[in-house]
Order: sequence, then structure tokens, then C-alpha cells
Amino acid sequence: MTEAVDFNVARWLEAQQEAVLDAWMSDIVSRWKKNYLHVVDTEHLHLQSRQLLEEIRKLFVENPNEFWEPTPDSKIVVLIRSLSTQRAKQGFKPADSTFYVLSLKRVLWRRLLQDRIAENKVALATCLAMIENVIDRLTLLIYEVYVETRERLIAQQSLSLLELSTPVVRLWDRVLMVPLIGVMDTQRARQTTERLLEAIAKYEATVAILDVTGVPVLDTSVAGHIMKTIAAAQMLGARVVMTGISPDGAQTLVKLGVDFSVVTTRATLRAGVAESLLLVGKRIVAVKDAP
Amino acid sequence: MTVPPEAAEFTIPIRDSTDVLRARGSARELAARLKLGSADQTRLATAVSELTRNILQYAGEGTCTIINASDDHQRCIRVIVEDHGPGIPDIPLALRDGYSTGGGLGAGLPGVQRLMDEFQITSQPGHTCLTMAMNRPRTPFT
Ligand SMILES: Nc1ncnc2c1ncn2[C@@H]1O[C@H](COP(=O)(O)OP(=O)(O)OP(=O)(O)O)[C@@H](O)[C@H]1O
Ligand SMILES: [Mg+2]
Repeated sequence: MTEAVDFNVARWLEAQQEAVLDAWMSDIVSRWKKNYLHVVDTEHLHLQSRQLLEEIRKLFVENPNEFWEPTPDSKIVVLIRSLSTQRAKQGFKPADSTFYVLSLKRVLWRRLLQDRIAENKVALATCLAMIENVIDRLTLLIYEVYVETRERLIAQQSLSLLELSTPVVRLWDRVLMVPLIGVMDTQRARQTTERLLEAIAKYEATVAILDVTGVPVLDTSVAGHIMKTIAAAQMLGARVVMTGISPDGAQTLVKLGVDFSVVTTRATLRAGVAESLLLVGKRIVAVKDAP
Repeated sequence: MTVPPEAAEFTIPIRDSTDVLRARGSARELAARLKLGSADQTRLATAVSELTRNILQYAGEGTCTIINASDDHQRCIRVIVEDHGPGIPDIPLALRDGYSTGGGLGAGLPGVQRLMDEFQITSQPGHTCLTMAMNRPRTPFT
């Protein structure tokens, strides 16, 4: 833009504010009412939108002739980030989230074209371009925030799943149990090993039961991970008792040539518990006068 | 993860570890539908797991095709695992117990050979194809 145009977008916007807001909000509400209105407080939405409109007007005041470039800590960026983060968390689809600013563009364009300014082609083109620039930037920002928020959510979920899936249970003095459940990948195996070693040290455990009942397929990669866990536990002086290998699983492991002879194995967790207690000099006995 | 009931064959792209789960789950499902015993289901699922995992580890990505090749006399599940990775330069060596270039147990390929009834490998740089099959005679109930 070389020269300021006569027409001042900022001033025009100020005059139009209420009308724009009304048209914009009714457009939004008609699109969102099916899926989102129960999560959106319309009064709050009005307030937010008025604030956003005000920030856009200020942008035009501050950058009358140039194209605006967003900076991370500018007020409008912060505003858009916070409301799109919130919407992503509320389960908005990205198209519906970006519709928020795209709808504003539509309203502004329509009003501009009906305005006196539409007669001056150069001024009109300038205004449209300025509005377009701001809205485009905001759209990209909303999209970016959307993806960031969802990714963070997914990362959190997989992390909590990981946490969930590697408990180390203290069964008795010096006897620990690790129920392996689900898919064992490298990350999972590493975490299980770490947890087990910590627990062995902390409780001065001498026996660790590794129960694989919940592992769907014992292939070589899983077997490899389990063997590393076993080796680490043995290095700390703990005996490992492995339980829960199904008859089918045992046959398959033999065919694969995987050798678990370094550990005591028991078909069931029950037998493994009995064996482990024996290893620390304990035994489960029936109470004499039990009812 | 479901096998379309009538499909004689279908292909699963192998790009990440969830695809491994999908492939071996589908193979197991087909085996169950053909009324193969649970030990055979486990064998087949494990073999599929081995080969598809190798794809991820050594070739990056590939495909796994599961075929119901049964006829009047026998039930047959054929699995073709293909990739366009670097290839296996020395196949007899790769089939040896304990041989691994990836720090594994080196039990995958030799294990598959023992688990399945048929197993063939063809490999050159840019195209590796592993075919395996499990055959079981039909019984009056299957
Ligand atoms: N699709 C493939 N492309 C290229 N090389 C392969 C492929 N599959 C196997 N190999 C080679 O063959 C070797 C043996 O494979 P195998 O599956 O028997 O053992 P591994 O994968 O190394 O260990 P694991 O016991 O965990 O499976 C591998 O180390 C690798 O060098
Ligand atoms: Mg392997």
C-alpha cells in the first residue's frame, strides 16, 4: 500500500460495530445451534466477539496502510488463541471453529459492498484486502491452535494410558507383581523395567512375578522386551517368576525358539504366587476353625 | 479390524504399529472363521506379527495381504507380506536362528518357518516378498 486511502476502515468499523455484531452473531448461532450451543454461553460469546471486533478495529488504527503481521503476544492473538483452545477442547470441528472468523469476513464484505465506498474501486479493493489479510491470519491461527490442542490431548491420553498400564504391586514383603497388559512396545517395556527396578530397590524385594496373561500376542519383539526386563531384575538380585503363558502361547514360543529357561515359569498366576511365597519362606494355609 | 465375510483376499497397509495389530487381528479372525483351533490362530497371528513388524523395522512401510485360499479339501490361509525397502541380501543367513541386524532375538524369520506350513522369501533391493501359508484338512464340521 503506497498511499493512505481517503476512506478509513477503522472509523467505518466503529460506526458499523453494532450492526456487524448482530449480523455476525446470528450467522454463527444459526450454524452452531445444532451441535454446540449447549456448550457455548451466548452472552459470553457476544462479549468475546465484541472484544474481538474492537481489537480488529484497533489493528486498523495501528496499521492503516500496511498489512498486519501477527505477533505472539499481541492482544488479538492471545484472544483468538484462548477462545480457539477452549473450542477445540469442547469438541468443535476445525471447520466450525474457523467458521467463526470466516463468518465475520462475510458480514464485513457484504456491508462494505453496500456502502458508499463501493463506488470508489481503489478504496474498496484496499479495504477488502485489509480485511481479508486479518481474517486469513486469524483463520490460520485458529487452525494451528486447534491442532496443537488436539495433539496435546492425545499426548496426555497416551501418557496416562502408559502410566495406567504399568503398575508394580507389592504382593507381600519382598514379593512384587507386575501384571503386563496390552501391547508391549519399546517405550512401555522401558517404563515397566524402570518401575520394577525402583520397586525392587525400595522394597528390597527378592522375588518379582511377571504376569503376561494380559499380553495378546507373545512374538519375538515382546519376548525380547520381557527378557531385558528379566535380566535387569536379576541383576538387582531378584528372582523372576513368569506366569500366565497360555498353552497356545507356550507352543508358539517354543516354535519361535524363544528360551525362557532363565526364569521360573508357572502356567497360572495362582501357582506363581504360591511359588513366590515359598521363595521367601511363606506359605498360604487354611485357617483351622474357618466357617 | 474386521474381515469382510465374503472377501477372498484383502490388503492392509503397514505403516505403524497399530497396523501390525490390525493385520494380526484380521488374520486371527479369518482363522477363527475357518474354525482353525486356538493354537493355530495364535501361531498365525504371531507369524503375521513377526513379518509385519520386520517391515516397520527394516523397510519402513509395506503391505500385508491375507487370502482365504481354501478349497473343497483343505482350509488354507495364505499371507503375503511385501515391501519396497532395502531387501534381505542373504536369505539363508536371515533364516538362521539368532541372526539379527537390528539387535533383536533373530528369532522372527526362523520362527515363522517353523510355525507355518509354507514359507517363501524372494528379495532384491526395492522389493521383498514373503509368502506363508497354513493348511488344515477339512473335517465334517468345517
Ligand atoms: N522386510 C525386511 N527387509 C529387510 N531386511 C529384513 C526384512 N525382514 C527381515 N530382515 C533381515 O533379516 C534379519 C532377521 O529377521 P528376524 O525377524 O528373524 O530377526 P529380527 O527382526 O532381527 O529380530 P526378532 O527376533 O525381534 O524378530 C533382520 O535382522 C534383518 O536384517
Ligand atoms: Mg523380526
